[in-house]
Amino acid sequence: MKKLIFVLVYSVAALSIFSYGKSVENEQLSIALSGQYASKMTDASAKLEELDTAVKKTLLFNEADGSSKAREDIWRLSSDIKNSVSSLPMDPSFSTSWMNYLGRLGNFAKDANHATDNAEYHRVMKLASKNLRSMADEWGVATADMVGGGLSIDGWKKRLDADESSHDWAGMGTTVKQYTESDFPLTASESDSMKKKDLKEMKDPKVTRDEAVVKFKKLFPYLSNETIGVEESKPGSPYPFYHIRFAEEESIGYIDITEKGGHVLSFLAERPFGKESLPFEDLKKKAESFLKDAGYKDLVYEEARENNTAWHMVYVRVEPKYGAKVFSDTIHLKIAKDNGGIVGLDASEYIRKEKTEQQPITQKDWKKFFHSGVTIVKEEYAYVENEHLEQRLTHYFTVTLDENGKIGTYAVVVDTETSEVIKTEKLQ
Amino acid sequence: MKKIIIRMITIILLLGCVYSTSPGQIEAFSSQDIARGAFGDDVIELQSRLQYIGYYTGTIDGTFGYGTYWALRNFQDKYGLPVDGIAGLKTRQKLIEVSQYDEKYVKNNMNKGNKFTYYGSKPLASQVEKGTGKKENVQLPAKYSEQDLKLIANAVYGEARGEPYEGQVAVAAVILNRIEHPDFPDTVGGVIFQPLAFTAVADGQIWLTPNERAKEAVLDAINGWDPSENAIYYFNPITATSEWIWSRPQIKKIGLHIFCR
Repeated sequence: MKKLIFVLVYSVAALSIFSYGKSVENEQLSIALSGQYASKMTDASAKLEELDTAVKKTLLFNEADGSSKAREDIWRLSSDIKNSVSSLPMDPSFSTSWMNYLGRLGNFAKDANHATDNAEYHRVMKLASKNLRSMADEWGVATADMVGGGLSIDGWKKRLDADESSHDWAGMGTTVKQYTESDFPLTASESDSMKKKDLKEMKDPKVTRDEAVVKFKKLFPYLSNETIGVEESKPGSPYPFYHIRFAEEESIGYIDITEKGGHVLSFLAERPFGKESLPFEDLKKKAESFLKDAGYKDLVYEEARENNTAWHMVYVRVEPKYGAKVFSDTIHLKIAKDNGGIVGLDASEYIRKEKTEQQPITQKDWKKFFHSGVTIVKEEYAYVENEHLEQRLTHYFTVTLDENGKIGTYAVVVDTETSEVIKTEKLQ
Repeated sequence: MKKIIIRMITIILLLGCVYSTSPGQIEAFSSQDIARGAFGDDVIELQSRLQYIGYYTGTIDGTFGYGTYWALRNFQDKYGLPVDGIAGLKTRQKLIEVSQYDEKYVKNNMNKGNKFTYYGSKPLASQVEKGTGKKENVQLPAKYSEQDLKLIANAVYGEARGEPYEGQVAVAAVILNRIEHPDFPDTVGGVIFQPLAFTAVADGQIWLTPNERAKEAVLDAINGWDPSENAIYYFNPITATSEWIWSRPQIKKIGLHIFCR
């Protein structure tokens, strides 16, 4: 009995010491985290003031040159505040709209140049300045307790919950969203891009559920004999589609087919893979034969990547006028290494075919354009999206550069009309 | 009985002769052509042999990228072979003829994650430095790093390991969609560690070691698959506590998760 009491007392004492130690440790961690968050909030507040000042400074000038430094500050500060906001536990409706607003403000300032309508710039930035002031005040009030040390991190998180909230975060989110719509409405290109992504312009006739299944069986006859379940997409989907799930022997997977036109969005099958591996050329032939049979006839091979069980292959659409690749219209294929079966297809980008327009091609002395150490190894035409989301015809160069004994390979994309370098990417 | 044994030995010897004189078979590499985009043991051997004779100066990592491609073309040019950047039979035979490959040395160092080279002109012992541990051997699109793959695989495993494969690819796709979306941070780490964004980060399950299935799912998402159909949120309707998430327009349900915009 004495021994039992001794063991019990000893255990209780050990547990108490352990739990005390843990609670002290947790408290220390909580204090450290609160400190971190308070610091981020203070930082964001200070930078909001600086951002407001930078916006006002740009309003002093009529010419873009005069405001270039302040515009750079706007871009940098908005990016910094965005980073601070993204690392804080915030109400999601507020943080997402706030980050969107800051991003658009920064981009607007960065893109303003000689060609920008000065009156329009002043109109937008005056509005932004007013709204930023109001946001800075709201932000100050919302974060005062946390910054002042009067609130623990748990308390802060509880406040974010709608029931216990003393601050209307959702209301703030709605306000910022309104600011975004008034100050930085979507440009025509952005709006077009969204429409394409949401397949808004697809005019194809509707296919039935049964027709979608028939399409699946035609494309993948070896996978579509057994269990098949078909669901329609939920009402919030930007475009309606059929979600078909299948299980055939050891393969299980899905295919999504649009209701309009019965186009394949994506398909994936999972199965155990064998260890053997067919030669790449055989797999490529199988891939191309599949694409041809499936009716994708305006594609060319772009690249492939091998991994443990499969190759991922990329094909791009070719526009006939210039023979230019359209990099936004791609089809991805996943091909099993063991038997060359198609185990994945993603054609969602291909469905959203870009409208490509004719464009002047100005000739340039590329030897002068590139540094003497650069070798052009390939030049082709391609349509590439610029930062304003416009499809531009470009010279698509693959070039090499000697980098201290190693050869660096780059893709350099130059607008055929303006010679603007749209993209420079290091290739692996 | 003796006759049977003699016949069997004869057949085995004959088969052995045919195998050893077969034109498609060379003693080291597998029988396949090796081209840009490939990965694995053949590429490790190719890079090692090219480095042994000084043509390849990059890291021996088993992934056939542009560095290996230019080294191979230079080798082909030097030895009068067709210059196509593909290690076909003749190229592989010539490489075997003019170089050496110490598979044990190379693989041992790769497995230990050591920093090493394999130049034939230097003693091997002088070409090894301690590294940071074994690396993943994968081919990724240019804009993603091995660290991105690891981090997203951790998130997928922590968030959706019990979900169907499609659901795991969809979770990875949501992370990638957020990076492209103006409402979210624009890095993998920024999106995953955004406070209150993922349950697996809050409860520490993100630090569980992901399995091969989760990594494969991430590879598919990184290579362009999006079963979520452009979703930027998902939630489990049984466990979700946020009322706000129910206000998002829903796209589809995969396993236990509803994906939304």
